[in-house]
Amino acid sequence: MRRKKLTPLVLIVVAAAAALTGALVTDTSPQLGLDLQGGVSVVLQPTKQADDEALSQTISIIRNRVDALGVAEPDIARQGRSIVVQLPGVKNQQRALELVGDTAELRFRPVMSSIPGSIEDLLSSTTTTGPGETTTTVAGDTTTTAATDVTGQSAVGQATPFQDPTTTTTAAGDPTTTTTAPVGEPSTGFELTPREDDVADQPVVLAERDADGKVVSTYQLGPSAATGQIVSTAAPELDPSGQWQVRLEIKGGSSIDAFNAIAAECFSGSPTCPSKQLAIVLDSEVISAPTIQQPSFERDKIQISGSFTESEAKDLALVLRYGSLPVNLEPQTVQTVSPTLGEDSLRAGLAAGLLGLALVCLYMIVYYRALGLVVVLGLGVWASLNYAIISKLGVALTLSGVTGIVVSVGVTVDSYVVYFERLKDELRAGRTLRSSTERSFARAFRTILAADISSFIGAALLFWLTVGPVRGFAFFLGLSTILDVVVAWFFTRPMVGLLSRNRFFTNARWFGVARGLDAPRTAAVAPAGGAR
Amino acid sequence: MTGPVDARRSIFARLYHGETNIQFVSRLRRWAMLSGLVIVLGLVSLYFRGLNLGIDFEGGVVWEVPAGDVSVADAQDAMESEGLQGLTVQSLTSEGTTRLRVEAEPLERARDAEAISQELADLTGADVNDVSLNSVGPSWGEEISRKALRALIFFLIAITVYISLRFEFKMAVPTLVALVHDVLITIGVYSIAGFEVTPATVIALLTILGFSIYDGIVVFDKVDENTKLVGTSHNLTYGGMVNLSLNQVLMRSLNTSITALLPVASLLVLGSFVLGATTLEEFALALLIGLFAGAYSSIFIASPLLAVLKEREPRYRDLKAKLAARQGPVVAPLAPDLDDELAEASAARARPVTPGAAAPLSGRPIPPRPRKKGKRR
Repeated sequence: MRRKKLTPLVLIVVAAAAALTGALVTDTSPQLGLDLQGGVSVVLQPTKQADDEALSQTISIIRNRVDALGVAEPDIARQGRSIVVQLPGVKNQQRALELVGDTAELRFRPVMSSIPGSIEDLLSSTTTTGPGETTTTVAGDTTTTAATDVTGQSAVGQATPFQDPTTTTTAAGDPTTTTTAPVGEPSTGFELTPREDDVADQPVVLAERDADGKVVSTYQLGPSAATGQIVSTAAPELDPSGQWQVRLEIKGGSSIDAFNAIAAECFSGSPTCPSKQLAIVLDSEVISAPTIQQPSFERDKIQISGSFTESEAKDLALVLRYGSLPVNLEPQTVQTVSPTLGEDSLRAGLAAGLLGLALVCLYMIVYYRALGLVVVLGLGVWASLNYAIISKLGVALTLSGVTGIVVSVGVTVDSYVVYFERLKDELRAGRTLRSSTERSFARAFRTILAADISSFIGAALLFWLTVGPVRGFAFFLGLSTILDVVVAWFFTRPMVGLLSRNRFFTNARWFGVARGLDAPRTAAVAPAGGAR
Repeated sequence: MTGPVDARRSIFARLYHGETNIQFVSRLRRWAMLSGLVIVLGLVSLYFRGLNLGIDFEGGVVWEVPAGDVSVADAQDAMESEGLQGLTVQSLTSEGTTRLRVEAEPLERARDAEAISQELADLTGADVNDVSLNSVGPSWGEEISRKALRALIFFLIAITVYISLRFEFKMAVPTLVALVHDVLITIGVYSIAGFEVTPATVIALLTILGFSIYDGIVVFDKVDENTKLVGTSHNLTYGGMVNLSLNQVLMRSLNTSITALLPVASLLVLGSFVLGATTLEEFALALLIGLFAGAYSSIFIASPLLAVLKEREPRYRDLKAKLAARQGPVVAPLAPDLDDELAEASAARARPVTPGAAAPLSGRPIPPRPRKKGKRR
């Protein structure tokens, strides 16, 4: 009986200790929100109605840009029609602000030449190989890679019902395309153009990356021949051979004329487009660089083929559609917090929280004597679990979150007060402490549960339905409420049971539980060990 | 504090020993008038003065920058030449460093705010990354408020459903009344005092709602438990029972309020006054007011209102009439608020209920029961 009751106590103390040491040893501390460590927060809204698809495309564009900034824990999320960008700890705040709100444009640029991978890859592979063999290895290497690469690449052709799929492949895999890459002298002119220098009417060097952000190819590109505005629509489809491709439709009039003008240049391999490839560039990233297979196209019979997977085809179509209607963003709120200001807030919040906690503990000990110790220990368990969970989940702790935690201290301590006052009632009714602990707990726990559930409902609703700081607050309030119930059941109950069996704790003159509960002396004094 | 059982004790001692007999229920009118007065004052102020809404609700731009050697007047001149509308420049000092706070109406183009940041950095010689900027478009506050309001409505519905399921619908009504009461008082105080309303205030207000409901549920749980005492056998009307329950949980309520207020007070005093973190002040101020209002309303408004509602049920109305006919008014005969003649510690435990004594209104929830033999725990 006794052992069974102690199991949960041991369990939770061990769990709390393990969680806390775990967090401390692995050095995971709660991630700080930007109001506590400084940073930039922007809420953007599209100026015109934008559909879901365009908004998520916008978010991924912003994410790309932010990744380039090197922010540790960026948070870019959609809330309703708005896009909330949080960049805690970002070093260059001004630059971040400029980057985030910029409208992304889709551009069609002719490819002058290309190399596989990045220039750094190429140079490092050069240096690692022996000097005598350099040229051959690199050349040999490159050609093969490029060749497969090109086969893996795409081509723009006319959509005809009876089109022979091999036509496309052959054209795309045409090795002459690859040889235009200046394999021999890789270091010339393949340094990437910085984002801010990517101007429409200037030649640039841009990269194509895979999903992991690794550079697949680097392109020297000519001035932009057309923007995404010429695109009417685009959709992924299966060709007759079961291969995924993208059907592109260009708007009529000047749009298709512009497209055909550049198509003609590329098809003929003129000096403005020697590679015969036309790159589709969104926000300084090359999305695809298909080879042009015809000098001119009908506006609704264009297809981009290559060995696309279904998702690649969908992504490419999405980019093209986004380009036709780029989302213009207007900042609704801009907030920058300097690191020093954040640090000040954090320190003040911590100091105030600790002082408040100390005062609460002191009050509880003075009021409930030995039982006050249970509160202090219980708060310790509660705090350790809370700390470990917050660290583990990696939810950014903001000032409003800190407030939520401070408030929940009050809620947590109340659970003890409810229980202890209940005990007091039982003792006054003439029961012994030992016989009252379980009864009182059962009744008090009902109350605690009822009250905590209502708190939790509130926290959950706030979390789902609101934005920004209110959410952070609700999250921490809800978490603390759950922990409160857990601690009450697993810690407080067995702990008080334990104390009630110990003569010192029950009857000590100034410190005893009996004293703290204002129990009539005779009633509380359990016949020491007698009943057992 | 805990002397031997005296016949007469100070109010604190009686509170501590759970022997108070304060007439909460029968004096509902008094409490309601007190609250009503504060609320009306607040509403009047709200009508004439309105609320001091922060930039998050009205739109606007605020910069904060380490002041360096630049005076408020210098900054004012410099910013005026930038053509900012509705300009106010203040200096804030905390822990020996002075910061300038520049506030202006929303800019035409949000991007101009960043240019002004640069301008301020140049003026004070600070790094541009040390300039804090908070720029809010005029429509943003509207959206926040709308979302918060929507959350609030769902919250109220959910709480009503929950209380109705867990207890009964008649307990949900007083809870909601107490809730509205707390919010009105907090908003009223904000309007009268002219404190700035920020998103932090909204959060604090939501916290208050949660707390107010939490507090109310603890009281109602006791009432729910004591309902079985209502009846002729204990000479207790519903109102009398509610009053008894309130006296029983009074110390709990006080302790809870004290423990909730301690951290908030330290947040306010240490956090914002001593260490100068103004955001903490925004939180703590509303919390402090709301916690007071919440503790008060759960005891003085919600529970008495519940008694009034319940005593309209035929069952309890008849009981009240019956008991009144038998021995005069039951609940409120104890003239001084704190008449504890009948609430002596040993009374209820030792004696069975004596007919003719007004009522066993002592703080004993558990009727005496013979101790069982051989009971082991």
